[in-house]
Amino acid sequence: MSNVLEAKNISVAFGGLLAVNSVDFDIPKRKVVSLIGPNGAGKTTFFNVLTGLYKPSAGTISYEGRDITDLPPHKIASIGIARTFQNIRLFGLMTAQENLLVAMHSKLKSGITSTILRTPKQRREESAAEDKAQYLLDYVGVGKWTYEFARNLSYGDQRRLEVARALALDPKVLLLDEPTAGMNPQESSVFIDFVKRLVSEKDISVMLIEHDMKVVMSVSERITVLDQGEKIAEGSPDQIKSNARVIEAYLGKAKEARA
Amino acid sequence: MTKAPVKPQNVARSNRKWIIGYSIAGAFLYFVYQFLLNWEGLPLGIYDAIYRWMPPAAVNESLVYVIMALGLNIVVGYAGLLDLGYVAFWAIGGYCAGWFMSEFFYFLKVHFFGSVPAEAPGIHINFWLVLIIGGFVCAAFGVLIGAPTLRLKSDYLALVTLGFGEIIPQVFFNGENFFGFNISNGTKGIVGVDPIPVGVKNLGPFDFGWKLLIFLLLTAVMVFISLRLRRGRLGRAWLAIREDELAASMMGVPLMRTKLLSYAVGAFAGGLGGVAFATHVNGVYAERFNFAISIFLLAMVVLGGMGNVWGVILGAFVLSWVNGNGLSAFGAFYNERFGTQVDFASFTFLLFGLVLILMMLFRREGLLPESRLKLVLHEDDLEEATSGKKAK
Amino acid sequence: MQKFKGTPGQIRRQRVERIGAISISLVLAAWILVNLLESPQQFAQVAILGLRNGLLYALIALGYTLVYGIIELINFAHGDLFMLSAVFSSYFITVWFKQDESNPAGWLTFISCLFAVMAFGAVINVLIERLAYRRLRNAPKLAPLITAVGMSFLLNFIGLKWNGSTPRQWPTVIPNGDIYIGEVRINMITILLFVVGIPLLLALNYVVAKTKSGKAMRATAQDKDAAALMGINVNKTIAFTFAIGGAMAGAAGLLYQQSIGTTNYNLGFQLGLIAFTSAVLGGIGNLWGAVVGALLIGLIQGLNDGLPIAFGQQWSQSVVFAILIIILVFKPAGLLGKVTTEKV
Repeated sequence: MSNVLEAKNISVAFGGLLAVNSVDFDIPKRKVVSLIGPNGAGKTTFFNVLTGLYKPSAGTISYEGRDITDLPPHKIASIGIARTFQNIRLFGLMTAQENLLVAMHSKLKSGITSTILRTPKQRREESAAEDKAQYLLDYVGVGKWTYEFARNLSYGDQRRLEVARALALDPKVLLLDEPTAGMNPQESSVFIDFVKRLVSEKDISVMLIEHDMKVVMSVSERITVLDQGEKIAEGSPDQIKSNARVIEAYLGKAKEARA
Repeated sequence: MTKAPVKPQNVARSNRKWIIGYSIAGAFLYFVYQFLLNWEGLPLGIYDAIYRWMPPAAVNESLVYVIMALGLNIVVGYAGLLDLGYVAFWAIGGYCAGWFMSEFFYFLKVHFFGSVPAEAPGIHINFWLVLIIGGFVCAAFGVLIGAPTLRLKSDYLALVTLGFGEIIPQVFFNGENFFGFNISNGTKGIVGVDPIPVGVKNLGPFDFGWKLLIFLLLTAVMVFISLRLRRGRLGRAWLAIREDELAASMMGVPLMRTKLLSYAVGAFAGGLGGVAFATHVNGVYAERFNFAISIFLLAMVVLGGMGNVWGVILGAFVLSWVNGNGLSAFGAFYNERFGTQVDFASFTFLLFGLVLILMMLFRREGLLPESRLKLVLHEDDLEEATSGKKAK
Repeated sequence: MQKFKGTPGQIRRQRVERIGAISISLVLAAWILVNLLESPQQFAQVAILGLRNGLLYALIALGYTLVYGIIELINFAHGDLFMLSAVFSSYFITVWFKQDESNPAGWLTFISCLFAVMAFGAVINVLIERLAYRRLRNAPKLAPLITAVGMSFLLNFIGLKWNGSTPRQWPTVIPNGDIYIGEVRINMITILLFVVGIPLLLALNYVVAKTKSGKAMRATAQDKDAAALMGINVNKTIAFTFAIGGAMAGAAGLLYQQSIGTTNYNLGFQLGLIAFTSAVLGGIGNLWGAVVGALLIGLIQGLNDGLPIAFGQQWSQSVVFAILIIILVFKPAGLLGKVTTEKV
């Protein structure tokens, strides 16, 4: 199995509106793939289907060979599909560390009684979790804000914290929803390096939704293009860059002039 | 908004201060009601004042409210679920005491470390065991009530819990003939509950001092449970749900299970309080369980600061005292002074209504806020224009 | 466009819901049939009474559904507004204008009271929104909910002081007497309730469907921000919504007070729950749903209270409440509501 996630024939209908129409999408192991398309193309909807937030009106999703189409979001998260949000959704009034600890909820085993009694086993588990959280916070670069309220962090640090939180799920697939929104070119460049490092160091695949073409072109190994809910192209950055249909889809819509 | 980060040591130190403070207060209360009041040398003026403003029965009753408020605090304060029917658990706890610690089931004869002579008819299980039984029975009901309802949006959840808070007491109210069975003696109530065995003696309804100690102990138990759970993964899950339940579920937190657990643990406190109250009034009387109590408890949690154990204890104690004894005592005092005939006790609804409204409008975080709560409840006030700060 | 049935899990759930709905309907139908055959005359009488109550519930339910439709808040205090309106009516007719008989003076007072109490309800409701709810419109959900509960308590207190803690009886100015349709006796009061109630509902429907304010209301209910961008004054529209909801509750208060003849500070809670259940049963946010739901609930409740084979009056509230739970769990959109997946 060279694909860690396979989505087949996904369609999503909202009332009479078909937001996603029979889209196939695979995420290969240890690769970076991107999903792009003009506004309203159905990218976020499709993204939400992959994470279990929406249930597709048709189609199936399988993860490491297992059908996960009907699984609830928290189950999908716990088996290794993690995501970040377009508008950062950290737990603002919890510390950075606690944000990660929440994400480790499904990995920790202590029940009510052991928590109330603070058994040695529970204490060890908490301690190990805190160590892992610190490691991840350091890895993304916000190691010194461990005990800071997530809300107080700078925008860039909050983005990084969100990634760290997603990583706390020990995911095989990391789904990033417009991760460079609000970043300047230097920050985007740093982010690109981070993603490349992540995929090479950990056994993880990354999927991005992005509008910033520069980022997309330089980090993706494969790009999929959606327009009006349909897949209109898929291939390497060079192929996509010169694809007529893709260019046409973007023409007429305000192109984010960063490419 | 550069609030200093709440390092674990700070939290622990702050908690310790409160524990010490409340322990001293508790010890002081015990001293007053067990020893001071029984001292012959006590000046009459002080004796009268104490009995007028805070008779021992009032203190104990307030403590029962504190215990239950701590339970509601877990549901509303930690998990952010608006439960308006908490009185149902109080009732169930009370009737557990009535069933297992009285002569209600006169046609049976079950004794298990009971505190009455072995010939007495009925079920007589040891008080301490009944406490646990009551707690777990309530927890089970919490799960039962929660299972179909916790999927609902907060508005609907509030209304449905309000409904349960009305129906379950009604079941007991009509309980004399519940499909042919007498489960509660209806409006007559269950009169007479076993005394509490504490080794050397049995505590009857007038052993206020000793009962005070026991109720303080139960309060401490709930505080202990609350703080420990809050520190562990369940507490974190609750706080995450309270703040952003969608994000929480996408981070692996199972929403239904976690919410159900908050109901169960919260209801457990209701069971403790219900059993304790039954021994306090020496019986179980259906008309005492009305929906207004659920709202009172909510007001106590809101006043004290949702999620803040220390604030809730204070809020519960103060409000229940005001409602129970304070208003009428103040009324008598005021009327004597000014020759008026104002019925202060009837102002309860006004008081609690205003507490809820004013707190929500002007100080949502409560009087003693949990420092973090200040932030989440004022989301709408914060400037979104300046996105984030460069925290140095 | 192809018809999508959904994922296997969704299909399973839909099947369960369908089975549940069918079985409940069958049980209901069987119950009605049995009672109908047992004593048809009693059935008709009880049914008419139930429908009459349903009309009252409809007037109150409209207030709930209008407010919920526009700001997604259950106005817990709405039932208590109804209660205060009933007390207001009792004072207006019997104390201030001293009418206690059914004569032209009495009827004139009744009609003027109708206008007065509707104004009363509208004003109070608008005040509540302005003072308490408006500030919390963008606050996290818990805050306005708790405030609504507190407001309910506040109104309860006013009712307690105004009416006293025990129920009070009042004479009515509605002509007494019955008319007979076959063997079935119909009271003048029932007739009057329909004569007053139905035009009110029709008037409301006209206001909502045809007037500019009504359209503004519907637009705001669908999308507050878009409505604002279109030039609609959202604050005024919301106030308007509260006003007509309050007016309906006011009218219900008068009708209740004159038909049942008692006032009790506790009225709001009891009828509030019933009215809200009606709104949910019919589909929250849907005005006709509220009416249909209310008539249904009134009918079921009437049948339950009056028929020989039923739970009886003491379980009345539990029955209504059980209906609420079943609807919310199995079909939260209600009978006339639409299930729409919200775009997140």
